[in-house]
Amino acid sequence: MYEPRIIAFLCSWCSYTGADTAGIARMKSPANIRAIRVPCSGRVSPELVMRAFDQGADGVLVLGCHIGECHYDTGNHRAAKRLPILRSLMTFAGLEPERLHLDWVSASEGERFSKIAEEFTGDVRALGPVHWRVNPDRKQVASQMLAASREAIPYPETDCAAKTDAIRKKARELLANNQVSCVIGYEVSRRGRSRPVFVYTPEETGRLVWNPDCTNNLTTYLPARLRPIKGKEPPKPVAVVVKPCDSKAINVMVAENLYRRDQVYALGVACEGIRCPDGNLQTRCVTCQEAVPIVCDTLISGATSSFIPRLSSYAREEIAELQDATPAERLEFWLGHFDRCIRCYACRQACPMCNCPVCLYERDDSTFIGLGIGLNEKRTFHLGRAYHLAGRCVGCNECERACPMNIPIGLLNQKLAEEIEATFDYRAGLTVAPSPVVTILSGEYKEG
Amino acid sequence: MSKSTAPKKRWLISQAELEAWLDGIANARTLIAPRQESGIILYRPVAKSGEIAWHGQTSRSAHGGRPVLSVKEIFFPPTERLFTIQKTGQEIRLKETFPDWETVVFGVRPCDARGVKLLDALFLDTNPVDSFYARRRGNTTLIGLACKELGPTCFCTSVGGAPDDAQDVDIMLYETDGGYLAEAVTEKGRFLIPGGEWKETTASPQQSTYSGQFPVPEKGKWPEHFNDEYWAKMSERCLSCRACAFVCPTCRCFAVRDELVKPGEFERIRCWDSCAGENYRLVAGGHRPRAEKGERLRNRFFCKFFYYPEQYGLGAASACTGCGRCIEVCPVGVDITEVLMHLEKPA
Repeated sequence: MYEPRIIAFLCSWCSYTGADTAGIARMKSPANIRAIRVPCSGRVSPELVMRAFDQGADGVLVLGCHIGECHYDTGNHRAAKRLPILRSLMTFAGLEPERLHLDWVSASEGERFSKIAEEFTGDVRALGPVHWRVNPDRKQVASQMLAASREAIPYPETDCAAKTDAIRKKARELLANNQVSCVIGYEVSRRGRSRPVFVYTPEETGRLVWNPDCTNNLTTYLPARLRPIKGKEPPKPVAVVVKPCDSKAINVMVAENLYRRDQVYALGVACEGIRCPDGNLQTRCVTCQEAVPIVCDTLISGATSSFIPRLSSYAREEIAELQDATPAERLEFWLGHFDRCIRCYACRQACPMCNCPVCLYERDDSTFIGLGIGLNEKRTFHLGRAYHLAGRCVGCNECERACPMNIPIGLLNQKLAEEIEATFDYRAGLTVAPSPVVTILSGEYKEG
Repeated sequence: MSKSTAPKKRWLISQAELEAWLDGIANARTLIAPRQESGIILYRPVAKSGEIAWHGQTSRSAHGGRPVLSVKEIFFPPTERLFTIQKTGQEIRLKETFPDWETVVFGVRPCDARGVKLLDALFLDTNPVDSFYARRRGNTTLIGLACKELGPTCFCTSVGGAPDDAQDVDIMLYETDGGYLAEAVTEKGRFLIPGGEWKETTASPQQSTYSGQFPVPEKGKWPEHFNDEYWAKMSERCLSCRACAFVCPTCRCFAVRDELVKPGEFERIRCWDSCAGENYRLVAGGHRPRAEKGERLRNRFFCKFFYYPEQYGLGAASACTGCGRCIEVCPVGVDITEVLMHLEKPA
């Protein structure tokens, strides 16, 4: 008979002792459970849970102290916020939700431990063996993009000359007054491609442009430029051209103490949408709800603004379509897409929120992921990255745009954004507030 | 632009004949060809000729039909297991697994074929021979397909290649009115061609359209630019991702590591790496000789135009084949042709 392998992360103070109590009282508990003692359920990071599934666990049980009884005050609150979000991410990627369970057991509740363990084991046994871990020799099966049920929207004709002039004028002024050290904006290359440009003198401001191809989220350059370096003068403010979606990233970064708001001068452009190379509106623009930037020191608006919200919500239809599929179908969908990934990290590098000095998934001593460009590693990277962006992703979708392999990464971020909004009534970047599932350990922004 | 003097054997075939021939190949061997997958074109195994993306224009690809990744991935895959290590008690057993199947790659563009040639120089022609690469290379036949004209990001003619250069493939196909002109370039290629069935011809292929050539700085001119301020400036927008290197037909850096498969079993794997990544030159003690992204990006260009010719010579002017993929995938518009033009004529 099939016996599932279950990893149980037990909080040292309550649940582990609770399991002990069950043992001492000679209560029956299933032998399927491999207990791992952790100091607190708040210590159980999503990476640990994902790692357990990556290594072949059939189920993961996380047990902590009852709410209000945490020996570290709020450690179990953290678990209570994080794990349901992780579960919805893994469910979206094809895991059966019943395989991950969070519950509370106190030191005296031996009977409760025994009951939860018994029930959970029964549930997982009923599901049968897990198909999460992928055989590295698996044959390649391609996933097609979801059929776009929505018609492509052609990019509306807009006048960009007025905005270009306004950006140049303001940039010249800021640099001439020595208000900022640099203006980060867009230029058009010799090849005709719009791309980021860094302007340091008033004379160079003629290079700055605005057009419907200004796709990059330029706030991604800010943290490195505004980081104080020991023994050096604090960095001078920087001006940056932002679209409404990009501007939200500034709020998140300020909330996470990466720089102060007064270090950034936002040249906010009223945006009518950005187009794809094929001339249609980008996906993010179809669901965009903001006509003007949320963070903005000077508003750059053209003579006419033709912004019309195209849909009444941020939601992407593909997500609902995927949610209607079976877990096995979702698993195949994502594996088929992740299969193309080459771990070039273009998604991560283009992302303003991916600003860790060294990525957890690229550390040489990382215990969460191997070096290989194999299917297991690729999925771990993408799901891990998506989780780290939960409540932080502002939906600029640059990761998906930057991906040379056309992987619909944005769907993962969007899914978690919807989940966070439903659970916490919170959308990233609308105000200076950190993500509800993120814990910021460093205090205020410090000089030097 | 065949550089050999002996007259080549040529055949005139129709699209239907070509497809039938490819179907035959797919039945007997592994046929890899450009195939559309989720909106992009990649070299992938195909079961029949109908799966081939002939001139597939996708929303993502500017050059009709050019796969996003070069044929490099067939010979030098992103991740490869070199051997497994099994430990039982005191005994340690190493086991190698060699790739061992016959493969035919169809639709190889001249720039990609040249890239394979350039990889040969270090994997095959320089000791020690890389047995994994050698095995794959020996078992593979390349069927080239000439480009009629240069795509928007192509610049092969500027770095010594040509859109109809047949010298690095085994069989070359040229599009003609109502079909293809096939040319056997090597013995290996000749072996694949069905003798009696195809109509021989003496016709010459129509020359492709060459356009947009620009001068590229010679090898000797590079060292003087090493300390230019230009590198820091041009790389400001670089995100330090590795996309340019991974799509490049000649970027060949790899990392090797032993990893745990299951208790008692390890594998030694090697996988693509790139000098653009921040960790590439991290050494013990935490020192990073190329800490600035300008230094890292400079290395990419020096590697192509100075280090490679210096090390492997071969009369190759550079390790760049002008395929233009790095220009197309760069999320922030770093453009290798701009760098070359700048160095040739500093503004």
